[in-house]
Parts: sequence; C-alpha cells; structure tokens
Amino acid sequence: MSLFDFFTDPVLRGPTWGTLLMCIASSLMGVVLFFKKRILLGESLSHAAYPGVVMGVSFFSFFFPAHEEWIFLAVLGGAFISSLLGLKAIEWMEIKGKVHSDAALCFVLAVFFGIGTVGASAMQLVNPVWYSQIQMLLFGQAATMSDSHIFLYAVLSAFVACFILLVFRPLQAVLFDRDFAKSSGIPVLVLEKIVFWLLLFSLILGIRSVGVVLMAGMVVAPVIAARQLTDRLHFVFFLAACFGALSGLLGNILAVVGSSFLFPEEKLNLPTGPMIILVGASLALLSLLFAPKRGLAFRLFRIISFHFRCLKENILKALWKKRGISFSDLRKEHVVSSFFFRLALLRLSQEGWIEKRDEMFVLTPDGVQKAALVIRLHRLWELYLAKSLGFEGEKIHNNAEEMEHILTPDFEKRLTAFLLDPKEDPHNQPIPQKEREL
Amino acid sequence: MNPYWGAGFFEFFIVLCSRVGAWVMGHTSSLAADEIQIGVLSCVAIACGLVGPFLVLKKMAMFANSLSHTILLGIVLAYLLTSSLWGGGMFDLSTLLIGAALAALITAFLTEGFVRFFRLQEDASVGFVFTTLFALGIVLVTLYTKNAHLGVEAVMGNADALHISDLRAAFWIALLNFCTVGCFYRQFQISSFDGNFAKTIGISSGLFHFLLLFLSATVCIGSFRSVGVLLVLAFLVGPYLTARLFSDRLCILLFLSPLLGILASLIGVALSRHLLSVYDLPLSTGGIVVSIIGLFYVMAFFLSHLRYKLRFSLKKIFKLNNFT
Repeated sequence: MSLFDFFTDPVLRGPTWGTLLMCIASSLMGVVLFFKKRILLGESLSHAAYPGVVMGVSFFSFFFPAHEEWIFLAVLGGAFISSLLGLKAIEWMEIKGKVHSDAALCFVLAVFFGIGTVGASAMQLVNPVWYSQIQMLLFGQAATMSDSHIFLYAVLSAFVACFILLVFRPLQAVLFDRDFAKSSGIPVLVLEKIVFWLLLFSLILGIRSVGVVLMAGMVVAPVIAARQLTDRLHFVFFLAACFGALSGLLGNILAVVGSSFLFPEEKLNLPTGPMIILVGASLALLSLLFAPKRGLAFRLFRIISFHFRCLKENILKALWKKRGISFSDLRKEHVVSSFFFRLALLRLSQEGWIEKRDEMFVLTPDGVQKAALVIRLHRLWELYLAKSLGFEGEKIHNNAEEMEHILTPDFEKRLTAFLLDPKEDPHNQPIPQKEREL
Repeated sequence: MNPYWGAGFFEFFIVLCSRVGAWVMGHTSSLAADEIQIGVLSCVAIACGLVGPFLVLKKMAMFANSLSHTILLGIVLAYLLTSSLWGGGMFDLSTLLIGAALAALITAFLTEGFVRFFRLQEDASVGFVFTTLFALGIVLVTLYTKNAHLGVEAVMGNADALHISDLRAAFWIALLNFCTVGCFYRQFQISSFDGNFAKTIGISSGLFHFLLLFLSATVCIGSFRSVGVLLVLAFLVGPYLTARLFSDRLCILLFLSPLLGILASLIGVALSRHLLSVYDLPLSTGGIVVSIIGLFYVMAFFLSHLRYKLRFSLKKIFKLNNFT
C-alpha cells in the first residue's frame, strides 16, 4: 500500500479526497472566524448540528428506507437546518435575553446536544444500524465514503473557495474595519449573512470526516498555523487551505494505517477526527514555535542574541576603562551565567577584539577602537539627555547604559552634528573621538 | 423488581412520595434505579448550581466547555498514574479527583501559556487547546482500552446505567462543592464581580480562579458517568440564566439555580419513565433533563417578559390617572 494508492484505489480514494476537500472548506471559513474573534462559535454550531443529523437520518429512514446510499444528503440537510437554528438561538439569547455571548454559546451547545442525545437514544431502539452510523459522526469516520460523496464535497468546497475569491476585497474590509466597509457602501449585512451561511455549510461538511465534537479544532488549527507565517490576508487564506488539506490527508492516512497496524485482527478503527486534529495541531505547534519573525524560537533567539551583544559590549567597555583585567575580576562585574560569559569572551577573542596576555585580558588595537565607539555613544547620549532634554542625575547614566547598545552609526553621526562635535560629557569626562572606520 | 415499573408521569410522583414516606417511617428498602438517577442528577444539579453562577459571572462558560473536553485526558492520565501506583480503578473517586485536578491544571496553564508566550488571541487559544487535548484523550482511550465506545459514552453519558457507587461519588462531589462555596462565598463573590477590588483587599485572585476551575472540573467528573461531559454544561449555565431572569441577588441565585436543576431532574426522570411505560420508548434520561432545562429557560424568558410588560402597562395607567 503506497501513498499513491490512497489517491487512486477505488476503496481508499473516497475517504482520502473527501477528507482533503472538506478540511479545505472548513479551514477557509476558520480564517474568517479567527479574524472576527469568534472561533468558539464554530464549536457551538458544530454541536448544534447534532440533533439535525439525528432527525435527518430518522426522517430519511422512515420515508426512504431503501435508498441508504443517499443518506448523507439527509445528514447534510438536517445538520444545516439545526445549526442554523442554533445560530438563531444564540443571536436571540444575546440580543433579546441580554446574555453574554460566552454563556449563550455554552448554553445553546449543551441544550442542542441534549436534544440530539434524546433523538439518538430513540433511534437506537428503532433502527440500531443507522444509530451506529450517527454515533460515528460524533468523532468522524471517513472510511465509508464513496465517489458520490467526493463529488458533492468537491462541489461545495469549490463553492466556498470561489466565494472567498470573488468577494475577497469587500470581505477584507468587513473583517478588519466594519465601519469603514459600511461607509464605503459595501453591503455589510448581506455579506455577513452569506458568510455565516457558508460557515454553516463548511462546518456540516466537515462533520463527516472530523466529527461533531472536534469540528472546532479543524476550524482553528490551520488558521493558527497560517497566521504565524504571514501578515497578508490572502496568504493566510491560501496557507490555511494548504494546512487544512495536509492535516485532512495525513490524518486520514494515519487513521487507516494506524488501525491496521495496531489492531490487525479486531474490527476496530481509530476514529478519523482525532487523528486529523492531532495532525493539524502538530502543524500549528510547529508553526507557533518555528515560524520566522513570529515564532517563539525566533523571538527567543532574537532576545538572546541581543543580550549576548550587550554583554560583549559591556566587557569591551570594562576592559577599555581598566586596561587588563583578570578573569575572576571581570566575572564579578557581570551577573550572567558562567557559560554565557565564557562564550562571550570566546567570541570576542575569535573576532579579534581582545586577547589574553599573562592571565590578563587586554584589548587589541581594533578592540580599543570598538570599545571607544561604545563609550562614545554612551557619553554622546548622556550629553544629549543633559543638554537638550534637561535630564539630571543618575537617570542619565542608566538610560545611556541601555541606549549605547541600540544606537546605530547613523544616530552617532547626527548626534555629533547636533551637539557640535562635543569633547566632554556631563560628568566632565572626555568623549573618545572617532579615529577611523572599523 | 422496580416499583416504578409501568408508572405514568403522575403515578411516578405518587410512588416516589409513598416510598419517601415509607422511608421516613422507617421501612428501609434498597434504592430503585429511578431513585439512583434522581439522586445522581440532583447531586450534579446542586454542584453545578453552586459553581455555574460564578463561571457565568466571570465570563468563563466556554472555559468550562473546554474543561469538560479535557477532563477525558485528565482521567486517562490519572488512571495510568493510579493504576500503576496502587492499582486504582478508572472510576474510583481518588482517580477521578486526581483527574479533575490534572485536567484543570493542564487546561489552565496551556490556555494561558498560549496567549502569553505565543501571543495567540484568547478564543483561538481556548479552541485550540481543548480540541487538541480532547483528540489526544480519545486516541489514548481507544489505544488503551481497545474500545472505541468509551469516548462516545464520555460525551453522552449514560444516566440509564447508574450504580449505587455513582451516587456515592456524586454525593461527595456535591458536598465538596457545597462546602467550598460555603466557606469562600465572600471571596468568590468579590473576585467575580470586581477583580481589582479583590486584589486590593488581599484576596488572591489566582488561587480562587484556580479553585473555581478545579470545582468545575470536579463537576464535570461527577457527571462523567451520568449525563456526560457536554450535557453538564447545560446544568452549569441553564439554571443560572433562568434564575437570573427573576432575581438580581447572588445569594438568591445560588439558592434558586440548584433548585431549578433538581426540579428539572425530577421532571426529566419522571418523563423518561412515563415514555418508557406508556410508549415503550427508552430515551436517554440525561438528554431529556437537559432539554427540560432548555425549555425552562425559554418559558421563564417569556414569563419574565410578560411580567415586565404587565408592570410597564400598569405604570402607564397609573401615570395617566395621576395626570388627569
């Protein structure tokens, strides 16, 4: 069973393509919810779909007991109606009942799910076969999807994608600045209504593969991953769709392979939904950690490298003032971990700023230049604070201690010109002159 | 032989009253299944009615939803821990309480941590953390017990297969909630209405925040077997919202919400029995109770609206009289 088989094999291709397409639709709508800060609405609405699924299946089994292959239409229709009712109920509670949206979401979720449970338990007695099919929808079961499903899901996913493509500009305006969108003549209310309908669509589409209970995860994970990587809305949409497709694909494959690997004899399947969510969540975690610019690892790296530079410059300054200090004396002045300190010394001697002479650290001629520049920046800034901004006392020194690491050569040039190339700082100490470019 | 067998809706209450009367007179007999149901559901309702108001006031209802999902992972982890340490069972009280504490800790730290360290917006962080942990819980349960139905049962509960041991667990959890809320009523009240004021008079907001989370986790645990972790949310939020329509005072609300929950459980169990005896239809009792809680809210809403309108029009009439 190669990876390629998952796309072509008549039994396997249904679930593969089906989950892939469904996950694209729900992750696209997830972007909209994410920027409206209403991710948890997805959670409530997907739970609210449950009674509809149950009712739809029971009506269908009552009227058309012979056409079992079309039951997914009943599932979709029922789910759509009941999650629409759920949406209306939430709005009604918020506006008429003056309930905070958080409590309204929670209450509607639980009550609708309760009604669904009652329906399902009735189903259990009347029609046990279809009852087990409904229970499958709680955690998603992709394995039984056929080609006709793919067609339907493909059409609906394409519809969602096309809609977003077509109304991208107005949608962007509505998402980021609703008042601006209103004033520039965009039919905001109509657009929002359509977006909510599409949201319901994509939520109920995902139910088949991800399941009622975990649908919120499918909505949120891809957009989190995508948001870390880019600041531009169309890239967020595009990347979210990619991540959604990837997690749908891998999750389904993992569920199939994992089930046959872990339970080779038993007729037991790993539920697809949790596997898809776990894949999506790991993608999102990777992106949260390692995304360039916004990822935690890169932010930490930037912070640490800044501290490292500060430490190096402080060591240079200390050496410049004393001309030759032993390691233990130098160590006393800097409160950092020993490893970090030794690393800084190592880097400094590698870069040729300092060298070790009879157990004492001294600056090289280049190092003297470099240290003088730091001191110069420090004293220039002190002078600027005292002369131009009227600061006094201890504050000046402390502020300059920080600013000396931040000021760029450009600042130095302008400060020199602004202060008329000064020779002494406010504490009457000479400002080292810039002799040559380093 | 279940004495409620074949009883209709009103007969149910008659039988219940006569059995309670007999019990008071000293005729002890073992509890029937319906009575265990009522007991467990009432305990859940009391615990929820005491904790729920604070959750809604602090706008943490969806956080409770998040907890109710992660509780599954908490229980699995606690089970792995206790079974290896002293051979505890999955539904022992100690395992359940450790699971509740674990779930509350993990959920709170992760949700907070994602906001703080990854700079995620709060709703996304909540949604991301609980779905991931729940998925993990489901996969672990399936792998460990080789039983795909346990996950379904955790979500749906099964109020129709309760034992006397479940009643005992539910009772202890209700007592725990009652005592904690009783002891720290003032602290909870102040920290949920005005966090800054609470801080200035020296109430540790972090401690009481976590205590509230822990209590909600125990509530979810207590309902794990009876109504399931999702339906318990209705017990947490519903009675409070209903009572809120009629009263503004917290102490009255804390009295009313458990009462409404108990009422709903009584009616729900009776209705479930009625449907079984008359129509031969065994329905999920937990689901029925939750539907009734929903119905209570809708009815109470229209009732309070009516009252409001009545008062308004009366005022108008009186004003007109004064004017003329």
